[in-house]
Amino acid sequence: MSQQGISELPTRGREVIELEGLSREFDGRVAVEGLTFKVEEGEIFGLLGPNGAGKTTTVRMLCSLIRPTRGRARVCGHDVVKEAERVREVVGLLPENPGLYGELSAYENLEFHARLHGLPEGRRRENIERFLRMLDLWERRNDPVATFSRGMQQKLAIVRALLHEPEVLFLDEPTASLSPEAAGIVRDFILELKREGRTIFLCTHNLYEAERLCDRVAILSTRLLALGSPGELKRRFGSPRTEVHLERVTEELVEAVRGLGFVRGVEVEGEKLVVELEDPETQNPSLVEALVRRGGRVRYVTPSPHALEETYLRLVRGSEA
Amino acid sequence: MRPDRIWAVARKDMSSARRHRYVLYGLVAIPLLFSLFIPLVSLYPVVTGEEPSENELPPFAQPGLSPRQAVVAGTIHLSLLMFLVLPAVIPSTIASYTFVGEKVNRQLEPLLATPLTDLELLLGKILGALVPSLLVTALSFAGFVITVDLLTHPLFGHPFLPDLLSLLVVGVYSPLVCLLSVSLCVLISSRVSDVRAAMQLGALSVLPALALYLLFAGGIVGMEGRTLLAFGLVLGLASAGLFSLARATFRREEILIRWR
Repeated sequence: MSQQGISELPTRGREVIELEGLSREFDGRVAVEGLTFKVEEGEIFGLLGPNGAGKTTTVRMLCSLIRPTRGRARVCGHDVVKEAERVREVVGLLPENPGLYGELSAYENLEFHARLHGLPEGRRRENIERFLRMLDLWERRNDPVATFSRGMQQKLAIVRALLHEPEVLFLDEPTASLSPEAAGIVRDFILELKREGRTIFLCTHNLYEAERLCDRVAILSTRLLALGSPGELKRRFGSPRTEVHLERVTEELVEAVRGLGFVRGVEVEGEKLVVELEDPETQNPSLVEALVRRGGRVRYVTPSPHALEETYLRLVRGSEA
Repeated sequence: MRPDRIWAVARKDMSSARRHRYVLYGLVAIPLLFSLFIPLVSLYPVVTGEEPSENELPPFAQPGLSPRQAVVAGTIHLSLLMFLVLPAVIPSTIASYTFVGEKVNRQLEPLLATPLTDLELLLGKILGALVPSLLVTALSFAGFVITVDLLTHPLFGHPFLPDLLSLLVVGVYSPLVCLLSVSLCVLISSRVSDVRAAMQLGALSVLPALALYLLFAGGIVGMEGRTLLAFGLVLGLASAGLFSLARATFRREEILIRWR
């Protein structure tokens, strides 16, 4: 087990998760097929995919909870099959459901898990206090968890996964079913952990979350569809888009934009044009000029914020077809 | 095997169980029932009533005693078999909450993600149901002994309990029935997703006690050494067999994938 404090974690660079052809079948049904990739120390790695894509199965294999049917994986240098117990010592898992004991207090829940990880009493108390304070739960430590809101329970479950200071933290849908406010708090905490050098493996189907938090993402639909930083994936698989917000969209303006040689496509959304371009940085000025020349009154121009979502949908729909 | 971690699981389960109202009521009510109510109801009328005739003696009456002594001794020994019901019912109540309850509330996955081995986890959970059950059984037995001895001292002139049979029932049979009950509950947990249904099915572990009670009460077998040894063996084998089955069922992968 890691005995390091957060500040003593090694710097980024070492590969802490390695998958090689990792596959899993359930009664002949393929859940995960041939996953091969590596995760570096200190990065937030996102696993994106629709429901049933194999995200949870992948996490369970990497946490040595279930065995792969084929292929292999190592976490912090430990084989997930041959050194399962060792793997479970160095990882922390936040499952999809927090699974806390509602009848026990927050402190009792954490103390129980700390004991299972074999933390000595001093470190147990120190870590519980430190993490509870970090998430503003210290004052509620003696309250039964059943009285906590869903967001507080999720934060507590993250603390539980962190107590033994794992080298890799697996978070399975950490903000699912949380209110926007609670989800924001959890995301901020994840970023704080990243700043402390923690390696985080994040399963999500929230693309905004993936784009905001992850250094790299893998898009999964039973098999790996794409892998790279959100920016790389957008560049590789998505078309850059520019949103032009106008005072009024007219048919003439739409036709004028369609007529521009460098425009790949135009969509109208209310008083906004979403224009697919090859290279927005060089083509945006000409686009705006053309609109103004036809009498268009431009309010403002922004890059389309949904690029990763489009990339994701394109890849996932392509794999389903 | 790390005893401190096994004990941590057991302690948590005991702590959780006593915060469930129904479990707590059971743990308080059962000792009162067994230590006061049963001996008073079953013995008081016989001790204070008229001397029974030889013809009225039940089939399990011991020879060499006066008719009243024989009826009282037989009634005490039959009542002792209730101490096989106790360790069957209490662990199934606790284990239903800690196994099925945890399964339904999806509390098992975080537990399975710890470095505990499957066996350590299973032993911890078994211990968590076993310890309170045996404590309550012992406490009830102590109360039973005091009540019985107070009631029967004028009749026998000496404390009747504890005798060899009572020590055998409480010291050997009860833990075995307990183990059988918890193991059965693990098996039930893998198929059932309702705490009450699990409790009802878990009550099946009273069958050995019930069978022995009927055999004794009907005079089909006597309370002699050979019969008791045979019963102990059957109970031991059944407990060991069910524990092996429970161990085979209680594997991480099985729990996560197959337990519904």
